[in-house]
Amino acid sequence: MLRNYFKTAWKNLVSNKVYSIINISGLSIGLACCMLIILYNKDEVSFDRFHENAENIYRIVNTSYAEDGKAEGFNAVTGMMPGPSFKRSVPEVKDFVRVQEQDFTVKIGTKIFDQKAIYVDDNFFNVFSFPLISGNKTNALRDIYSVVLNEETAKKFFGASLSAMGRVIELPTGKEGAFENFTVTGIVPQSPQNSSIKLQMVLPIKLNMRSGLADNQWINFYLNTFVVLRPGADIKNVADKFRQVYKREAAEQIKEIKEKYDMKSTFEYGLQPLLDIHLSTKFAAMNGLQDGSNPIYSKILGGIAFFMLLIASINFINLTVARSLKRAKEIGVRKVVGGGRKQLIIQFLGESFILSFFSFVLAILLVLLVMPLFNSLSNKMLSFSYLLDTTLIAGYIALFVVTSLLAGFYPAIVLSGFNPVQTLYNRMPLSDKNYLSKGLVVLQFTLTTFLIIGTITIYLQFNYLANFNLGYNDKNLVAVATDQMKAGKVELFRQQLLQDPAINSVAVKNRWNWNTGAKVDGNDISFRIQVVDSSYFPVLQIPIVKGRNFSSAFPSDSTQSVLVNEAFVRKAGWKDISGKQVDFFYDSLKYNVIGVVKDYHYASLMEKIKPELFIMHPKYDYGLLLIKIKPANTSATLQHIEKVFKALMPFIPYQYDFKDAQNIRQYAAEEKWKQIILFAAILTIFISCIGLFGLATLAAEKRTKEIGIRKVLGASVASIAGTLSNSFVKLVLIAALIAFPAANFAIKKWMENYPYQVEINLWIFLFAGFVVLVIALATVSFQAIKAALANPVKSLRTE
Amino acid sequence: MLLQLNKIFKWVNVGGSRTFLLRDINLTVQQGEFISIMGPSGSGKSTLLHIIGMLDDADEGEYVFADQNVFKLKEKQRSQLYKQHIGFVFQAYHLIDELTVYENIETPLIYQDMKGSERKAVVADILDRFGIVGKKDLFPSQLSGGQQQLVGIARALASNPKVILADEPTGNLNSKQGEEIMELFKKLNKEDGVTIIQVTHSEKNASYGSRTIHLLDGRVDQIVNS
Ligand SMILES: Nc1ncnc2c1ncn2[C@@H]1O[C@H](COP(=O)(O)OP(=O)(O)OP(=O)(O)O)[C@@H](O)[C@H]1O
Ligand SMILES: [Mg+2]
Repeated sequence: MLRNYFKTAWKNLVSNKVYSIINISGLSIGLACCMLIILYNKDEVSFDRFHENAENIYRIVNTSYAEDGKAEGFNAVTGMMPGPSFKRSVPEVKDFVRVQEQDFTVKIGTKIFDQKAIYVDDNFFNVFSFPLISGNKTNALRDIYSVVLNEETAKKFFGASLSAMGRVIELPTGKEGAFENFTVTGIVPQSPQNSSIKLQMVLPIKLNMRSGLADNQWINFYLNTFVVLRPGADIKNVADKFRQVYKREAAEQIKEIKEKYDMKSTFEYGLQPLLDIHLSTKFAAMNGLQDGSNPIYSKILGGIAFFMLLIASINFINLTVARSLKRAKEIGVRKVVGGGRKQLIIQFLGESFILSFFSFVLAILLVLLVMPLFNSLSNKMLSFSYLLDTTLIAGYIALFVVTSLLAGFYPAIVLSGFNPVQTLYNRMPLSDKNYLSKGLVVLQFTLTTFLIIGTITIYLQFNYLANFNLGYNDKNLVAVATDQMKAGKVELFRQQLLQDPAINSVAVKNRWNWNTGAKVDGNDISFRIQVVDSSYFPVLQIPIVKGRNFSSAFPSDSTQSVLVNEAFVRKAGWKDISGKQVDFFYDSLKYNVIGVVKDYHYASLMEKIKPELFIMHPKYDYGLLLIKIKPANTSATLQHIEKVFKALMPFIPYQYDFKDAQNIRQYAAEEKWKQIILFAAILTIFISCIGLFGLATLAAEKRTKEIGIRKVLGASVASIAGTLSNSFVKLVLIAALIAFPAANFAIKKWMENYPYQVEINLWIFLFAGFVVLVIALATVSFQAIKAALANPVKSLRTE
Repeated sequence: MLLQLNKIFKWVNVGGSRTFLLRDINLTVQQGEFISIMGPSGSGKSTLLHIIGMLDDADEGEYVFADQNVFKLKEKQRSQLYKQHIGFVFQAYHLIDELTVYENIETPLIYQDMKGSERKAVVADILDRFGIVGKKDLFPSQLSGGQQQLVGIARALASNPKVILADEPTGNLNSKQGEEIMELFKKLNKEDGVTIIQVTHSEKNASYGSRTIHLLDGRVDQIVNS
């Protein structure tokens, strides 16, 4: 029986090639997208699961609360203290491991490398399931001068990973940066791609605690502390105990800090499961943990894939139902010779299964084909081997079954319900009032219009950010990161750099973003602190709108003066700056405000301009040179900069970047999403259009006789094509009307992420609607014109 | 008694007024009868045949087939009854174009959930009986009208029904082909005891039957025994 069903189904597919190709190509694209997204999501939720003890590992996190009890800060990291303290006092805590990131300059013989590393406690390899190729997991990091490398790093250092064991590398960990010898005591393979911790170079954290200045601060946040809980421990209970320990042991410190810094916040320690870290936006992966992700991406991708599969299924439903008129006779006969409704339903479902099966196979091939492209777009390293996983295969089979049912069930019900008397005696009610099919077409084009609007918006927003007037000139500005340095060293750099006439000027600032607070007029104010000198504003061409720049004419500037930006003035509520002071009370230092600079965006446009304070007190270090060069012959200029750098900072790896390029890179995520959405939109339009093409073909076929009669009666080709296209155009217009408010809503939601938003005009919507209309019209009119041009005598004779 | 119709009425509502297609039809058919239904075009012959064949419902009245009250049966039971006992033959043959002769004949057996090997035997037997073994792999479009109707009858007989309902089976055929079909019906009726109810416009064809029912405007006008 099944063989017979299969045979008829197969014959039906072969004898209706256009229909089969449309359905299979649409479905396979939709399925391929779904498969990729399932793959993506699987990878997302598989992060860190390979650790045998993953279920029992937690990270200690900390939340700070403002005076009014509102949570204001989420620290994913801690200081050195909490780990050992909690282990001592909370019996459920079996063990703790701290992980801290550090960049190193590595010296091997005469070679210098720039290398990322992490400090860890020496039980690290017992807690986390990172296998060692050579070395012993229990005592690899026992010695303070030991280091564990991954294969790639070992290869980089020594040429071959095998011979690296027992070799020596030098790190500037001694007094005043003196180099010390470390012996390689372990080699690990490349860490799995779905690991938040990716090992390159691992050092014992004891090294970092030698100085005698052991960190015993509770209010200190810079490293990851993991705890291993005993199986079955109650997390709430453990968190309660953490709170009590903190209250008891930190009481004195807190009191002291509150008095000294006038601190008003309160802090609370808690736990975050290791498995939650990768997708957490609150307590993110940082400080040695990598590749943290935002679950919104999974959702957007999932939504797009669902859209596509839905549109492809709608094609299937619409085409099958529209085609059913042609099959009506077959269905009637089958019923007359004894086919029950159930048997017919099974037959039609069988057909949709066969179709889905071909689509499914094609989809797998498509996935393999586009995997590299998808990897580069989504920052993943997915591979074919990922596909061979039992849960994934089960997921795909479920996807296959659901698609077949989704697409096949409705047509099966409709077709099997035909009354044989009506179909066999040409008494089928030939109504054109198929609201469901029309509704589905509207839905398709609503989704299409929606995606086009989304694509245009993302494009506009990206261009807006990329071309934003930052308030300073980032053209021809080379940024070179340096070691910490004081004004004297800066002068040395400046002198030697300016020997090249292609270098116009040199500015300097601190390297890392750094927020702090102080008092103005007796009130607390928080701001970003920028350590600069008098060159900063002229080189970056930032206007000073009030007062003056730092000046060598006022020697006291370096220790007593600051400039602020306009946002600072607004926050402080100043009308005038004369006589205003900023009080760094905890350092017992007061600075005079000598000038106000125009607001400019040094930081990413993802944040609003913050109050900034510019200072040149010698107690702060510089760490970033900003070199303005002439645009011509940049490579020679860059060579000169490198030569100067190597001479003045021999042990620091030289790295340069053009500031304008760096600024653009901040919007890499937008750039990626722009591409992903664009692809999605194109595919969606394509699938919708082939569906429409199929419907138009069937509509034209159905009306062959009518068209023939109209032509005999003297209707023109244009008017006939018009009548045929008309009904579809109406549907597209309705779709546009639905898509506009939906897209408007989605855009508003998405734009909330951006403090600086491009203005969204009505014309974007109209343009999107117009594009969809033109595409739909082009698709439909091809068939309509063909039908209108057909010889009426022929079409009438076949009836 | 094979089947009995009591006070059958069927109507349609067209534009608010009720049009009767069948009025007060009473008919009893015995196993092994050969009945012809005649009447002008539009008199309700096909409609009556569809009701007898359970393809359509009446609006009023009672229909007993093989001791079962057809209108009161559940869909499934009725379909079972139909599958086992009734075979249909049409003026326009109504073969499935995508299937070969063999597959067309096989189709009703599939819906009876007959096993593959058994099906093969049954189909082979029928092909043999109708002398169309050589045509079994051809498609309907490759056959003449008479041959197509032969396949149509073969298909109707495949499930070994008690009764064959034929709606103008010779309407599309020339007189020689028509005669062959009628001879076939006669043989089936005589030798195999198959009950036959046919709709026809030809007096000659009607005379093959033992009883002719004349319809007029949905009413039984006259019953003639021959
Ligand atoms: N669904 C329907 N709606 C309205 N009228 C119908 C419907 N079905 C049949 N009729 C009408 O019922 C009447 C009887 O139809 P039927 O097909 O039974 O006629 P017939 O005797 O078989 O005619 P012919 O010899 O031409 O085949 C006709 O007048 C037809 O128009
Ligand atoms: Mg008729």
